[in-house]
Order: sequence, then structure tokens, then C-alpha cells
Amino acid sequence: MDSDLLLVLVVGTALAFDFTNGFHDTANVVATSISTRALAPRAAVGLASVLNFVGAFLSLSVAATIASGIVDAGGITLTVIFAGLVGAIIWNLVTWYAGLPSSSSHALIGGVVGATLAAHGPGDVDWDGLVGKVLVPALVAPVLAFVVAGVGILIAYRILGRQRPGPVTRGFRLGQLMSGGLLALAHGTNDAQKTMGVITLALVAHGNISATNPTTPDWVVVSAASAIALGTYTGGWRIIRTMGSRIIKMDSAQGFVAQGSGAAVILAATHVGFPLSTTHVISGAVMGGGAAKSVSAVRWGVAGNIAIAWVLTVPMAAGTGAVVYGFAQLFGHGAIGPLIVAVLLIGGLAWLGVRRFRPSPRVEAPA
Amino acid sequence: MILGSVVDWHDLLEVIWVSAAAATVLVIATSLAILGGARANSARREGHHGTAVVFGTLGIAGAVVCAGGIVLAVSVMLAK
Repeated sequence: MDSDLLLVLVVGTALAFDFTNGFHDTANVVATSISTRALAPRAAVGLASVLNFVGAFLSLSVAATIASGIVDAGGITLTVIFAGLVGAIIWNLVTWYAGLPSSSSHALIGGVVGATLAAHGPGDVDWDGLVGKVLVPALVAPVLAFVVAGVGILIAYRILGRQRPGPVTRGFRLGQLMSGGLLALAHGTNDAQKTMGVITLALVAHGNISATNPTTPDWVVVSAASAIALGTYTGGWRIIRTMGSRIIKMDSAQGFVAQGSGAAVILAATHVGFPLSTTHVISGAVMGGGAAKSVSAVRWGVAGNIAIAWVLTVPMAAGTGAVVYGFAQLFGHGAIGPLIVAVLLIGGLAWLGVRRFRPSPRVEAPA
Repeated sequence: MILGSVVDWHDLLEVIWVSAAAATVLVIATSLAILGGARANSARREGHHGTAVVFGTLGIAGAVVCAGGIVLAVSVMLAK
């Protein structure tokens, strides 16, 4: 009974994380479309939400990596997963509050690793998997997106440089419907799977699924897809502002190239099962598109703050996950500790919501 | 832990070249579609119908490559 309650709590928290993931990462998908006026804010968010939902059904490679490639699936407990999720949610909310586009994926992985370290020590962390499938791709992906978008924008300007700006702007805005859609699809397929992977881990820990060959049940896919789509529709407008106009003032060509390059990198990585940060990829692409036009066009101070948030994400989420695990254990090994943490978290969210949350303030596109 | 042994370089290199190639093709095809459309319009307005057909064909070809790229990307995901 206690174990069943804990499983329900973990699945609920995982879906809440998925919601914050969509909410937090909406900016990655829609900010460039909004800032170049390719789409109205609500239309961009609505389209991203639908395509996020569809994208979640396309692949399960990343879910498999999360479920079996980061920590020892056989030794993990429900409390560890719960603590990792809470660590990730708290870090997501802190960076959302600061308007920083940090990585929900790395927050999740950091939270789970931190809680595992607190519970079982370093032996249960798959360090090879963490370095090979998470950290190295995390370093390569934004640089790759930066270079690909930089080269892409130079090619686009080379081909279209002598054309009148009107048709070019209209053409790229139309193109952004396509590249933005592809990016939303890529985001859904990569990010929703992380939650699927965590719920699969929880089902392994509860004994519902074999630890040797964990497979993700259909209800997990549907619920994770729904949660991320709902979070995306709700929209994190603070980060949309940062991504859309505070890093660079984008033209429609830069917006198109950033989205297209980002989508290409994320889809290629998802295909081989790397749980990439869509935030890192699209931020790298936005900076690459800006720097190729003019290095001074990029606000490097804002870019520096984002980079600091990236570096801090895994250790901070890991630390929070470890602290939450330790706190939950103060109340014994059952469901009481996680229940108290969940109540505190919901109370904190309600307080934050009352004080700060604005559902859809006006987001102005740059003139 | 040796970095060379824990990183799947084959997969990582595949991600690098596939994404670079896909994004480059997408940008070139879209740019050519826009170029073709814009030049075809202005050629038609000026009465150069032959030029308009050539640029119109270029625009359509670019748009078809874009659409094909997206279909390919989604089908690759579905095949996994």
C-alpha cells in the first residue's frame, strides 16, 4: 500500500516535471517565430503544443537511455526518483524565475544522479553512460548548432543578399512555419521521452517492469505527451523574451536558420538516443545565427549568464535532489517523507503562482 | 575512465554530419525557393515570361526539397 502510494506520487511528480519542462522550454520552440513576427504568440504556442504532443510518439530511444543508461536501474528506489524529480522541478522554477533558458534535461539527469549518490553512493551511477551519452553530447551539441546556424545564415545571405527585403522576409516567415514545426516535433520527441524514461525507471523500481530490458508502456507515452503539450501551451513567457529578443535582435532569415539547424541537431541526436538539451541547442543556434551576421550583434553578457546557468544546472539539480532525498528519509523509508515534500512543493508553487505568475502577458516583437 | 572508450564516437560523428548536412540542405533549398519565387514574380511583372518559368521552376524545386527533407526526417524518426 505504502509502495503503491509512493508510485502514484512519483508518477504525478514526473508528469508535473514534464509540465514544467514544456512550460520552461516553450521558448526554445516559439521565441524565434514570435520575435520575427512569423506567428502571433498564441498561435505559435498552440502549434508548438500540438506538435510537441505528436512528437512524443515518434521514438523511444532517449527514454531507453534515461531508463537504463544513467543510473543502475536495478538498484534505484522510488524515493530516489522522487527526490531527483523534485530537484529538477525546483531548478527549472529557479531558472524560469530568472528568465534563463537552462536545460530541463540536465536538471532531470542531475537530480536523479544527486539523489542516487545520496542514497547508494557513486557505485550506482553509470559514470560511463553519464559522460558518454550526456556530458560529451551536451558540450558538442550547442557548438555544433552554433556552427551549423552560422554557416547556414551566411549561405542564406549569399543566395538572397541582392533581393528586395520584402519577399525575402515573407519567404523566411513562411519557412519559419515549417522550421518551427519541425523544431516543436523534435522537442516533443526528445524531451517528453525523458519523463517517459523516469516513469519507466519508477515502474522498474516498483517491480512492474523487468530491470533487464525495461520497455515503456503505452499509458506512459500518452500521459507524458499530454503533460508536455499542456506545459508548452501554458508557456514560459519570461524565457520567450530572453530567447526571442535579449540574445540578439533576429531577422526572419536568422530565425528560420536557427530553428532549422536546431531541429536538425536534435532529431539526429534523438535518432541515436542522446538525451540532448533542446535549450542548449537552440540557444547555440540563435547565437550562431547572430554572430555570423555580426559578432557584436550577440549580447554576450546575456549569453554568458545563460552559459553559467548551463554549467550550474547538473550540480545544482544534483545537490537539490540529494537534499530532498535526505529530507524525505528523515521520515522513514515509506511514503510519508515524499508526501510531505510534495505538499511543501505544491504549497511553494501556489505561493509563487499567486505572487508572480502571469498567464499570458503581451510579448512584443522587435520593431 | 578513458574518454575515448566511453563516448560512442560513431554515433556522435553521425549526429554531427547528419545534422550539418540536413540543416545546410534545408537552408539552401529554402533560400532557392524564396529566390525563385521572388525573381519569378518580378520577371512576370516585367513581361519576361521565359525567365519567370525558369525561376518559378527553381522555386518549386526548392520547396519540394524542403518538404521532402521534412518527410524524410519524420520517417527516419518513425523507423527507429
